[in-house]
Amino acid sequence: MSVGLLQIYARPSRTWASTLSWFLFAACIIAYFYTAESRHRENPEDRVTPTVGQMVQGMYDAALKPAEEDEQVEAATSLPQRFLQSMLWKDTKATARRFGVSMLLLIPAVLLGLHMGLFPYIGSFFLRFVLFFDKIVALSLLPILFIAFGIDELSKIMLIVIGVAPTILLDTFNLTRGVPKEQIVKAFTLGAHDFSVAYRVVLKQILPQVLNSIRLNLKAVMLFLFAGEMIASTDGLAYRIALLRRHMGMDVIIPYVLWVALLLFLVDLTMRMANKWLHPWFREA
Amino acid sequence: MCRFLCSFLIFSLCAFGQKPTFTVGWSIYAGWTPYYYMAKSGILRKWADKYNITIKAQRFDYAPSLDAFVAKNIDACTMTNMEALDMPAASGVPTTSIIIGDYSNGNDALLVRNGATIKDLSGKKLLLVQKTVSEYLFDRAMTISGAKDDLKKVRLINTSDSDIATAFLADTSASAVVTWKPMVSQILKQKGITSLFNSSQIPGEIMDLTVVRTEVLDRPDGSGQRFAKALTGAWYEMMAQMAGQGPAADKVLTAIAEGSQDTLASYKEQLSTTKMFYTPQAATDFGASAGLKEKMALVRQFCFLHNLLGNNTKSVDEVAIKYPDGSVQGKPDKVRLRFDLSYMQLAAQGKL
Repeated sequence: MSVGLLQIYARPSRTWASTLSWFLFAACIIAYFYTAESRHRENPEDRVTPTVGQMVQGMYDAALKPAEEDEQVEAATSLPQRFLQSMLWKDTKATARRFGVSMLLLIPAVLLGLHMGLFPYIGSFFLRFVLFFDKIVALSLLPILFIAFGIDELSKIMLIVIGVAPTILLDTFNLTRGVPKEQIVKAFTLGAHDFSVAYRVVLKQILPQVLNSIRLNLKAVMLFLFAGEMIASTDGLAYRIALLRRHMGMDVIIPYVLWVALLLFLVDLTMRMANKWLHPWFREA
Repeated sequence: MCRFLCSFLIFSLCAFGQKPTFTVGWSIYAGWTPYYYMAKSGILRKWADKYNITIKAQRFDYAPSLDAFVAKNIDACTMTNMEALDMPAASGVPTTSIIIGDYSNGNDALLVRNGATIKDLSGKKLLLVQKTVSEYLFDRAMTISGAKDDLKKVRLINTSDSDIATAFLADTSASAVVTWKPMVSQILKQKGITSLFNSSQIPGEIMDLTVVRTEVLDRPDGSGQRFAKALTGAWYEMMAQMAGQGPAADKVLTAIAEGSQDTLASYKEQLSTTKMFYTPQAATDFGASAGLKEKMALVRQFCFLHNLLGNNTKSVDEVAIKYPDGSVQGKPDKVRLRFDLSYMQLAAQGKL
């Protein structure tokens, strides 16, 4: 019996499967360049849809030349050095630092979620408030954030933490509650203390899922980070994009957006690999 | 191909017998909110009917209105002379200014905390929307005060205009801010904040224009010209109503202020620092003066030095400006921005 193409039991060959998976990429790229081409034919100075050449040139400048607000350095230095003094590297560093700090600040959120799930008093103290807080749209509180944390780094990082931490916290809480009671009872009968139950029995087995949950929230972290950098800053990837938008510098913006996507993908990949390596026993349900 | 032809045919059949439609985009600013009233009160429709076209007035935020204009989604748009040069003109969308509405005469200002002076700003934090007239104003303030060398030493913090007032008031470590009204008025209400420099010290350098895409004006059927005429006619009817005195004019101003959720008092306060050209004659005189060229020369140099004409633009002359007397700043084959007084002249002569 032959199986139709669109049926559940269809079995595409490996070549077909990989061709299909690239199809939409190709379609997007072709559609883009078709538009770019026709817009450029109509208006050679068009900046809305830059051509490949323009984007390569734009990215080349971004990756090898210092930002315009920085001192110009002599061109004699070597390529890696020039990259380290470039606009792209400067912006990436600034954004990465904020990103890193806010990821670190998610660790206390995970621990709090764990404790809330295990210790009833802590749970009843925090749960209702966090549930409420989770629904607050952090962006709309910006003026308060400015008053509380100034307009420098802290307010940007707090924006991310306030926006993402409650989600992670509640997820950890739910995962903790999902650990079978029998296990905890068993651990106690084997002589475990409160904290060894929390950290060595419960945390250990929910950690892969918590990491996954953080992974899924990477995009939210990035969105809040971008919002913060666009509102007030002196460096960062989103700062640059906001500036370039003032004069339609799409030849740099598009490569920048792709660069951010690549970086996010790499962070995601690293976390996935780390998860696999740390918890080889974990199989996703 | 066949499908394309079919859809083209259907599209043109639909268009057949219908009046050509034009869209003008405007954003909130003392000199542009009149468009709100023009659309609401029927002035715009009256003039559009006279020229047998349809005009839609659409409200935007400022930056998106520029994007829409550059993407050719709208036919006319309100913008400053600087943005007309560095957005559409520099993106290869030839642009013609048909109405010079006003110039900022104090609307944009550099404000400082605790009585600081220009000399004190070196090394301090300054909030502003970078790469806009705010940065131009700051640049000019430093140049005029003889502190040009300190320009690079001030720490500019790019701050979104929607949050700039709260950000400056909340963060006392920021010593200065450059912004425009109504934020300026809001910030000045706070104690200990003074204005160091404002746009009345560089009169006429920040102009507020209504621009049309040149290709629209050049449409062979003449509908673009009719659009420009209708728009200019409507604009000066509006101006005449605004310029009046007494309760009738107040009523009009109140209705305009509504367009930006503002009060009459606040709107009048903004108008007091806006040099409106209430008559077409005043606007034409300003447009024909030699001062216009000098001012645009400063603006285009600023745009070029800040890469606003495009990263790959090698010379300031790549984006040329054509003036009413026919003279051109820049390469004659690269004219991208034109100042056209003819529509305002027709209005002045009562020929619209």
